[in-house]
Amino acid sequence: MAAAMRTRGDWRNALFVAPYLLVFVVMLVLPLAMGMWLSTTKSDLFGTERWVGLANFVRLFGDAIFLQTVGNTFVFVLLTVPFLTLAGLGLALVLNRQERWAAVLRTIFFASTVLSVTVVTLVWRLVFLPDGGLLGVTAEALGKTPIAFLNNEKLAMPAIAITTIWWCIGLPMVLFLAALQQVPRDLYEAAALDNASRWTTLTRITLPAIRRTFFLVIIVEVILQFQLFGQAQLMTLGGPNNATRPIVLFIYETGWRQWELGYAAAAAQVLFAMILIAAMIQYRISSRKGVA
Amino acid sequence: MTRSRLAIALVGLAAMLMLVPLLWVLALSLKANSELMADTASVFNGRFTLDNYRNLFGNGAVFRWISNSLIVSFGMTAGVLILASLAGYGFARLEFRGREMLFVIVLLGLAVPEQAVIIARHQMFSWLGMHNSYPALILPGLSAPFGVFLMTQYFRAIPKDIDEAALLDGASRFTIFWRLLLPLTIPAQATLGIFTFLHAWNDYWWPLISATNKEMFTLTVGIASTQMNFAQTEGLGFLMAQAVFAGAPMLIVYLFFQKYIVQAVAGAAGR
Amino acid sequence: MRALWLLPLALLAGCSDAKPDKTRLVIQRFFGACEAEYGRVADIAGAEGECGIMTAMINRFEAENPDIDLVENIVFWPGYDQLTAQLAANDAPDLVTMHGSVIPDYQARNLLEPLDADLAAIGAPPARFTSAARAAVTVDGHAWGLPIDTWAPLWHINLNLFRKAGLVRGGKPILPRSPEELYAQAQQFRDRTGKPYLVQGAANEYAGFTRNFYTFVMQQNGALFRNGRANFRTAEGRNALQLFKTIYDRDFTTKNQDYSAAVAGFLNGDGGVFLVGTWMVGTFDAKSRETSGALANGGYTVMPYPRLFQRAATFADGHNWVMPRNSRRTPEERAAAMRFLKFFAGHARHWARTGHLPAFQAIIDSAEWRALPHRDNLAILATTAQPLPKEVRRQFPLETIVGTEAASAISGAKPIDRTLSNMERRVNDVLDNL
Repeated sequence: MAAAMRTRGDWRNALFVAPYLLVFVVMLVLPLAMGMWLSTTKSDLFGTERWVGLANFVRLFGDAIFLQTVGNTFVFVLLTVPFLTLAGLGLALVLNRQERWAAVLRTIFFASTVLSVTVVTLVWRLVFLPDGGLLGVTAEALGKTPIAFLNNEKLAMPAIAITTIWWCIGLPMVLFLAALQQVPRDLYEAAALDNASRWTTLTRITLPAIRRTFFLVIIVEVILQFQLFGQAQLMTLGGPNNATRPIVLFIYETGWRQWELGYAAAAAQVLFAMILIAAMIQYRISSRKGVA
Repeated sequence: MTRSRLAIALVGLAAMLMLVPLLWVLALSLKANSELMADTASVFNGRFTLDNYRNLFGNGAVFRWISNSLIVSFGMTAGVLILASLAGYGFARLEFRGREMLFVIVLLGLAVPEQAVIIARHQMFSWLGMHNSYPALILPGLSAPFGVFLMTQYFRAIPKDIDEAALLDGASRFTIFWRLLLPLTIPAQATLGIFTFLHAWNDYWWPLISATNKEMFTLTVGIASTQMNFAQTEGLGFLMAQAVFAGAPMLIVYLFFQKYIVQAVAGAAGR
Repeated sequence: MRALWLLPLALLAGCSDAKPDKTRLVIQRFFGACEAEYGRVADIAGAEGECGIMTAMINRFEAENPDIDLVENIVFWPGYDQLTAQLAANDAPDLVTMHGSVIPDYQARNLLEPLDADLAAIGAPPARFTSAARAAVTVDGHAWGLPIDTWAPLWHINLNLFRKAGLVRGGKPILPRSPEELYAQAQQFRDRTGKPYLVQGAANEYAGFTRNFYTFVMQQNGALFRNGRANFRTAEGRNALQLFKTIYDRDFTTKNQDYSAAVAGFLNGDGGVFLVGTWMVGTFDAKSRETSGALANGGYTVMPYPRLFQRAATFADGHNWVMPRNSRRTPEERAAAMRFLKFFAGHARHWARTGHLPAFQAIIDSAEWRALPHRDNLAILATTAQPLPKEVRRQFPLETIVGTEAASAISGAKPIDRTLSNMERRVNDVLDNL
């Protein structure tokens, strides 16, 4: 009887998923395919001129500016992800308590995450500007010359990294907090019975227990920071001298400023591939360590 | 014991440093434009004014931006909740041909970043002449697979006996969904709703290229536009008042709904 | 929760807000947003600055034409990203401000409406423009817009500081006539005032570098573009970059100021000469009439770029009103747009108060314009202002490339020769892939 009920109206059951699937196909699958096709054409925002096969990709790999943006993006990920992961873990370890002050501090660290990128860049521009930014004013008060972080080829990327860390530290922290709270109590009790030191407890019990979250945080942050856009666009325009231009800014400018949509689409495909590969590598590593 | 005290002290110091940039912007927003133009350090001379906020209320475009953001964010949230709940129920509970394969395809969608689809999406809306509209700002966000994934997991976790009992009473699939199971998913709905709202509110690239009319600017794009026209806008104090006005709502909502927001964001990433 | 489900339907339904009895006119412009000060002002004669005067003009037109529903889009400069997206969506505004250097790009793609007949009908035919303004809107023998102005970068001078430095004679500033004289005078300036000679907005800004580079290559009679391709690896290019590199190395300029900091800095007396365009003349002149401040008591004058090499020339561009193609535009809307252009042409003399050079020859010749402060210094620009040839497309992305490369050479991050070859290679890469 139940079985008959289930198969009856088979297609009508599919109606539940149909609305979503429609949007999914139109807004995700179709553009994905179109984007791949676009990357093999010479197009601009007004139309497609002709099919050029892999010419865009060949040009990309010979384009010094594009290659620099790839390098910049990698540098940025290296500047932010390790710090975000470790600092997030550290904060979670320290703030994993019931006390009121811990709750207040947790609130403070996560607050910045709810702001939009444009508010964040506005705030931090006013920190980094040499002429009137917070750091500039402080430097002058101390009798020193202000440093122009955003206009300095070597310091601009670290400045953007600092901004991003301030913005994003909340997420790793709460992920680790959630993981820490799921570590079974008895493990700690057993360690206490054995008179284990705090350090041993940390390294032998806590860290291994949250290993899965550790890899999760890394992969989430890597994927997020690969997509750097707003901070670079608004704080430094990708400069000075392309030092802070990430891949996504390259895509935006190539498509909407230089009107070369096909070329931009090709760069987008390359970014997509890079993100996929990073995710797969991460998956491989975490599964090999037996945590997947 | 002292080592952990040291750690706590460091964390406390870090927390204060986290707040400093926000306090700086707040302080600047309370200074007269002319004073700041002469010397930004005049922040410390103690002469504060609410003029910038007064001007904001008089002529600020910020209100238009905020209302656009509200419409888009609520619209996208409602849309996602509807579509994801329906689809989640379908995938979790109902049998139909190709169900497994379709679900896998949807999951694969999780791996697709915005950059791989945004150019083509822009083209599509261009051909349809639909840019600078609320649907254009809302529709792309409805395709995110995360909601479907979350709701499917949640529905799967609900014991099947509820369904079976209702089926025996002759209830239709939709009634079971609407009356019995949906109310049980409120926690997931809250998580998904908050996460979607936050994502819609803070979205930058898509509104930047789709809502190019000033009237259609979302808050995020509006604040970006003020950063480009630095010198030609109304002055640093006014700019900072806009920034405060833009950031404050989210911060206030966060302070009140902290627990849920944190859960939502953590749950989303933890998928 | 359940009520929320009905919300999206309601939202999608109520999306249009057209006023059926009025004709809609969409004007899109840059020049900044100044709603705090000028949001409701319609007094054109009393307004100051690009933003103020433009806002007042639009407000006044709106007040005088109640049958037109005017939508004013203020875009962040230069607004071409938006315009391109709008054109691709066939949702372009009726009138938009466009630089003369960009008109060829849109015109080549058939995205603009020719306005020959309309301009004649509103009494503003190209024959009445200055030659620079006419060149700005003319492509293939047709007029593609109504010129608003011609602008050039200028030397805005703090006379008070110049006087202190001993660089004023007979009430006029002494300007260099060669790079060597510039270095000497800049040194003297620094010795006597303790301030750098030049004020420049060099951070987060690349257009200034490009304009300086183009100007000084033009002054040496160098050909920046040959047969539609870049030609930068020349002695002229090297000299142009070397000039500013020397200025930078010897601290003859402010550093690391972004545009707004540089403006504020010049007003605060940070340096002697501010390198910026015609649009600041009105603002600085107003400050010079005050009794306090660095430019006070007439301490301001403005001159075109001095002739440091063989020829007096300045790179120039201009703003224009153009009408993008939009198949959905009704004849009423088009007529409304032309009414605005007629209004604007009629009030064009007010735009001259921004400091930009007027587009109508009659205004340049008028006593009223010449009586405006400092305009007699600038009249020569009518002959020396020089844009890039109209065959050069994508001038804006090129401007960014040239500017970013020049900036890195000037700050010493890259050697000049490598910069010039990078610059040339990257520009040709864009031009080859048009």
